[in-house]
Amino acid sequence: MRWKQFLTPVKSLDAAEARDFMQTRSAESFTILDVRQPEEYQAGHLPGAKLIPLPELSERLGEINPQKPTLVY
Amino acid sequence: MLAGKGYQVYNISGGIKKWDSPAAYGLPEQGLELFSGHESPQETLTVAFALEEGLREFYLSMRKQVQNNDVKQLFSRLAAIEIKHQERLLNEYNALSGEAWTHETFAAKQAAPAMEGGLTTAEYLRIFDPDLESTADIVSLAMSIEAQAFDLYQRAAEIGSNPHSRSVLKRIAEEERTHMAQLGKLMAQLSDDG
Repeated sequence: MRWKQFLTPVKSLDAAEARDFMQTRSAESFTILDVRQPEEYQAGHLPGAKLIPLPELSERLGEINPQKPTLVY
Repeated sequence: MLAGKGYQVYNISGGIKKWDSPAAYGLPEQGLELFSGHESPQETLTVAFALEEGLREFYLSMRKQVQNNDVKQLFSRLAAIEIKHQERLLNEYNALSGEAWTHETFAAKQAAPAMEGGLTTAEYLRIFDPDLESTADIVSLAMSIEAQAFDLYQRAAEIGSNPHSRSVLKRIAEEERTHMAQLGKLMAQLSDDG
């Protein structure tokens, strides 16, 4: 079923919508996931974002709670 | 990948480039030297108190350096806000420990000041490069420091081994978000006044 990962629609939020999403919820109720490289994260990231570079994501999926919405960039 | 595995995923379009709210800086371990991950809730509150104290002292030292009277008053106001944050932490500490520390005794005996967010004063000034005679720049700097602090407490909560300490860290992190929102209101107020 690997095709499913390419066909499942992902909602997009612009910066203002993402900020509203975060401000109307407790920080504990969602995950912000930064999939860029460490040096990009170091140069600036969304406060509270968890860094898992994309090449490591499949191995580290267990670090993300599937019960909570995940905001990715 | 995530959506295909059943995660509820939202893509933040434009990522950090389009993010126009305060960001955080540094690697995931930035500032974590302040936390071993094995602190008790009281020790966690002590570190947080020290971070607030560091920020308060920073504001007071900046107050001395600037010429603009409005900015001087703003730094005093920001320093006073930090005292309120410290009082909240100290009340929780006293409730947990059954002790009765005052702000003065706790500041003197328990906590050596550190800088909120895990960056040094010089690092904050280098990264944010504020115009120190501009009230808008100073509030913006303060918001950025709160964002950095929120980020640090979130990361510290992740490495914490004590569940009670983790929940204390998450609560403090949430409070830092509230502080950011309060500073946002102050920014709007300053804009209206100006």
